[in-house]
Amino acid sequence: MTGTAMPDIDERLAEDVGEDVHTDRPWIVLVWNDPINLMSYVAFVFRKLFGYSRQKADKLMLDVHHKGRAVVSSGTREKAEMDVFRLHEHGLWATMQQDD
Amino acid sequence: MVRRRRPVAFARSGDLVEVRLGDEERDLVSNLAGQFHSLLTEGPGPDQRRLYPTAYPDDPVRNADYADLVHDDLLRSRLEAADVVTATVGNDTLEPDELEQWMVVLNSLRLVLGTRLDISEADEFDPEAPDGAERSLLLWLGMLLEEAVEASLGFLP
Repeated sequence: MTGTAMPDIDERLAEDVGEDVHTDRPWIVLVWNDPINLMSYVAFVFRKLFGYSRQKADKLMLDVHHKGRAVVSSGTREKAEMDVFRLHEHGLWATMQQDD
Repeated sequence: MVRRRRPVAFARSGDLVEVRLGDEERDLVSNLAGQFHSLLTEGPGPDQRRLYPTAYPDDPVRNADYADLVHDDLLRSRLEAADVVTATVGNDTLEPDELEQWMVVLNSLRLVLGTRLDISEADEFDPEAPDGAERSLLLWLGMLLEEAVEASLGFLP
């Protein structure tokens, strides 16, 4: 899990600058199951784009396949959007949203 | 134990990838790459919706910004990939990055074809159905892509 050590610091900063602390919530990138893409290709894309091990890439791919979707990365909005773009370039169905 | 079938399309050979496709298969790939190039330059259509997916499903305004931002890049990278395939379709071997471009084209073709066929998970292949030829093509492209992935695994860092 990323970002769990941050909230206290974020809240103090947010109070200092008067911003809504919720705008600092990390963004997550989801990949969704689809009936066309090959499982081997999906796992390969995860390894190529994110440097995941074969085991991690296979687990994420199986989560996508069996659960309908999986969180494949997270971070700032800019980073998440870049990850989504790279996944789209490879033909995967990826979306992004703020983590709850 | 499943015996690994000898590759019939792509096989890693040291730092390169051997292309084992026959002449007719190469003609077919060349033809498909050309059709793909034309389809892309015609402009967006319903068959291409898997090539330009939604990024922000809950935020149409942000998604419109994203779509505007990336459309040209997505289009250009696919056109370049189609050009690489057209240029290398007669090769005995491919560099790893050339094979990556083949994979972009193979996968994109599958996405367009699969969209056109309205493929679902429950589909069972019936070669005698009216769209049997296209479904066969989808399977064949899948076999090529599968072998390309296999050949590429050894080049991952």
